[in-house]
Amino acid sequence: MELTEVIQVFVLPCLWAFGACLAFAVIFNIHGLGMFICGAGGALGWLVYLLCSRPLGLGDMLSALLAGVSISVWSETMARLRKCPVTGYLLVAFFPLVPGGGIYYAMKFAIAGQTRNFGNTLMHTVEFAGALALGVLLVSSAVRMRRTVAERRRGQRYGAV
Amino acid sequence: MVDVEEILDLAVEVGYHIQLAGGEIYRVEESVSRLLKAYGVETGEVFAIPNCLIASVHTGGREVTSMRRIPNHGTDIWKLEAMNGLCRKLCAMPLPVDQARSALQEELEGEKEYSQFVILLAHFFGAGMFTLFFGGSWRDAMCAGVCGAAIGLTVWWMDALRANLFIRTIAGGGVSALLALGLVAAGLGQSVDLVTIGALMTLVPGVALTNAVRDVMVGDMVSGLSKLAEAVLIGVAIALGTGLALGIAQMF
Repeated sequence: MELTEVIQVFVLPCLWAFGACLAFAVIFNIHGLGMFICGAGGALGWLVYLLCSRPLGLGDMLSALLAGVSISVWSETMARLRKCPVTGYLLVAFFPLVPGGGIYYAMKFAIAGQTRNFGNTLMHTVEFAGALALGVLLVSSAVRMRRTVAERRRGQRYGAV
Repeated sequence: MVDVEEILDLAVEVGYHIQLAGGEIYRVEESVSRLLKAYGVETGEVFAIPNCLIASVHTGGREVTSMRRIPNHGTDIWKLEAMNGLCRKLCAMPLPVDQARSALQEELEGEKEYSQFVILLAHFFGAGMFTLFFGGSWRDAMCAGVCGAAIGLTVWWMDALRANLFIRTIAGGGVSALLALGLVAAGLGQSVDLVTIGALMTLVPGVALTNAVRDVMVGDMVSGLSKLAEAVLIGVAIALGTGLALGIAQMF
């Protein structure tokens, strides 16, 4: 692959995603370092999606799932490090992957009376959102279970003393 | 012996503000019950759904209950982090109730907010960046920025009128699609689709979707389903709003 192609396909979109997430962080009243964590999360999620779907050819749903997982892992790690709620980072970093275009094109097909295209686009949008959501669900649940185990262990230790 | 009512009041107040800032249901419930425990109240039960928070304490043969209704609210991460931090601090080292109360007051008054101008600017850049992200040209991005700022203004105006979420989103989508059509017709933008999609990202139900998933994760089905319904409703409203504008434009 040519260098210019790499920049066109991979670098620029991630840069735009980073900037867009930075701007959205302001809308959700996030200040300081948190903004950049959100931006980096958004860029990372999109990079994972691109890498999975183009060079690896994993298919749309699996790519969305893996992107969801990577954003969640990034956000959960940052939240743990900064002792902050994970919500903010997660919300903003997800925006580049939320299928806004899907909703719009489905609506356009509906207006034009192209029922089959409308159905396909709508299904694809819903599936995509579902795959993303599953990604978050997996990571958040794993983190929660880990925390439960850690707390139980700590409780036993205290109990023994 | 500290007054149980005062402790309950404090805990519920903190929970109320966490929920108002857009905290998840389990975070609200956990925070309130941890606060109660930290202050030595062992019998508390806490229950929250998206628009209501109830905490009840059984003490000395009587039952004290506090209930707060949560009004419509947005997402305010700064406040959420501040309240979460306060809750952690109080759980680690419970201050006397009156001091804790003034600490809460201090946090609320020290609220950091961006000015309206900065938020409009963020709408402009956010929408513009997303148009570039979806493959639009620089001219498209500029137009999307204008549409995004217009959505921001419309949403404020609708909030001032106390319009509900559905109407608010329809209005936002309609305004941005009309503006996008106008800008492209005037020769400033190149693709109505890309301009509109970029601008619409400020309305897209990303928040509702993520929160729904996080609620379902911990088993809060009632909250999760109501947030999921919200996400679907917002999606439908976006389609209706832009569809309306495009449909009207087709007639001419």
